[in-house]
Amino acid sequence: MSVDLSTKFGHITISNEVISTVAGGAAVECYGIVGMASKNQLRDGIAEMLRRENFSRGVVVRQEEEKLHIDMYIIVSYGTKISEVAHNVQSQVKYTLNKTVGLSVSSVNIFIQGVRVISE
Amino acid sequence: MTLRKLDGKTLAEMILQGAHHLKSNSQMIDALNVFPVPDGDTGTNMNLSMSSGAEEVEKVEENHAGKVSQALAKGLLMGARGNSGVILSQLFRGFSKTLEDKETVTTKDFAEALQGGVTTAYKAVMKPVEGTILTVAREAGETSVELAKKEGDFLPFIQGVVDAARTSLKGTPELLPVLKEVGVVDSGGQGLLTIYEGFLANLKGEELPELSSTISMGDMVNAEHHKLAQDFMNTEDIEFGYCTEFMVKFEEDKLAENPYDEEAFRQTLSEQGDSLLVVSDEDLIKVHIHAEYPGNAMNLGQQYGSLINMKIENMREQHTSIVGDKTKPKEKAEYGIVTVVMGEGIKKLFESLGASVVIQGGQTMNPSTQDISDAIVEAHANNVFILPNNKNITMAAEQAAELADVKAAVIPSKTIPQGMSALLGFNPEADISTNQEEMSELMKHVKSGQITYAVRDTQIDGLSIEKGHFMGIFEGKISSAQKDKLETSKALLSEMIDEEEDEIVTIISGEEADQQEIEALEAYLEEHFEDIEVEIHNGGQPIYSFIFSVE
Repeated sequence: MSVDLSTKFGHITISNEVISTVAGGAAVECYGIVGMASKNQLRDGIAEMLRRENFSRGVVVRQEEEKLHIDMYIIVSYGTKISEVAHNVQSQVKYTLNKTVGLSVSSVNIFIQGVRVISE
Repeated sequence: MTLRKLDGKTLAEMILQGAHHLKSNSQMIDALNVFPVPDGDTGTNMNLSMSSGAEEVEKVEENHAGKVSQALAKGLLMGARGNSGVILSQLFRGFSKTLEDKETVTTKDFAEALQGGVTTAYKAVMKPVEGTILTVAREAGETSVELAKKEGDFLPFIQGVVDAARTSLKGTPELLPVLKEVGVVDSGGQGLLTIYEGFLANLKGEELPELSSTISMGDMVNAEHHKLAQDFMNTEDIEFGYCTEFMVKFEEDKLAENPYDEEAFRQTLSEQGDSLLVVSDEDLIKVHIHAEYPGNAMNLGQQYGSLINMKIENMREQHTSIVGDKTKPKEKAEYGIVTVVMGEGIKKLFESLGASVVIQGGQTMNPSTQDISDAIVEAHANNVFILPNNKNITMAAEQAAELADVKAAVIPSKTIPQGMSALLGFNPEADISTNQEEMSELMKHVKSGQITYAVRDTQIDGLSIEKGHFMGIFEGKISSAQKDKLETSKALLSEMIDEEEDEIVTIISGEEADQQEIEALEAYLEEHFEDIEVEIHNGGQPIYSFIFSVE
């Protein structure tokens, strides 16, 4: 699946892989995120942190009637205000996608898959 | 007076003043916010987070530094807003963790706590971005550890921390390119410095002026402009046309009549335009605003004193000149002609013949469809003719014509002489189709020849050509190839000219032709073709030593 844009010169096709990598990259720059998680983590029961090349496993891009929805599976740092971190991720992902790919995203849904407790 | 031990009460007061100082500066910090999302809310977010921390601190009744810092961390966590707010909460979470059991705090404890905050804050992020609040916290923290080793008195110690944070903040544009581009320091870092400044002021027993020492009006104006530049694209979209900056120097008698209230003043001004910044101290107000009627804004300021350092810029004019949109005041012409040529001389020649936009290009450097589309727009006419003067450009020209918002037609000229003849056939009185017909027709009556050199050995059209030899090209076909430029030119001209029909020969000399050669050719033509008129132009084109046009 991919996103198609029409311009007066022709079409631009952006694969979901690209969108998820950009979205994932924007997310991990956000403060409070310690990793992207596989969306199958709950089923697998393994707290798996994804590397950059696998971000797409933690970012699901869905297109429904011309609208773009993004689901992100993330792991946050213990001791942060989780709702706020999630909100920051939402706004940063939306902004970055708009700036770099020119895509307007209808929704960015955040699934907190884990909290990483760091020894203090 | 020396202060070697910080008790809970003093720490709480420091925190409260830090929060207060942040609050007074939050709007200015908002203005600096360009990273990561330029939404101008860093100051507001930090203020809300810090206020929530301060509220908790106020509830603490015990005189216990550890309890106070814990309360701060708790309040910050609950009230954290935005990226910078969350970072702030982490900084003080680490801070309070270190001080947990301490009833009173030494400078050494304080430094350790600052460091603890930094460690915690860095742990909670996958990819720390340097040039942000994190950098400022880290560098101030590192300095504090060094300081605490020899400084037991809190006043010089905190002073050192503030100085380190300030130096670090000044370096943020070097670390984060977007800050450098806009020319501002990091907003979150500025927020943290503001809090530290509050700590220091409290220890000194001072009230702080609202304007923090590091933020300059220039910084904020830059940031405002940057944000705005992202918002509008067209000159027409500028709602408030004048970028206005001025200062008001307070005057006693005017103040007696009109007591100054910054909040109210800002409110009134905001009705005059946008990108508003108001900063004031005891003597001065500084104002930056984009207004449609800058006079009105100044009148408002003048109620409180005299105006100094005024600067007004017409942003529509500025914008117009930036985007090169010089067409706005001009009426749209009925006809425009876009053409593609090589060489300055030929460009002038075409302009003198009536071309409205001349694109440089041709053999080996074809303009793109976009270049031609841009030229069509630049021609600013209801009907645009395109003369590509090269068959490799015809396709691009046709695409551009199709995409154009105005009527555009391609006259498929393949050579410079064809383009010139076609231009001569243009009649501004006639309609587009008549013109197209006439110009295409005239184009056929001209014969085009070119002299160039071979870049490699080759066999073509029954001729064997050696590298470095000159070739005479007649209507796209190589007709002669010889070692000598002049001889090749003569041979080509002889082939082109039909004495019974032709009247004019035009020679366009290129970069690689010298005056002697031109004169020799002229003499040759006069000698061999008595009735032919010769015209000579300096075309300055590369690649082709001569372009001949015979008609």
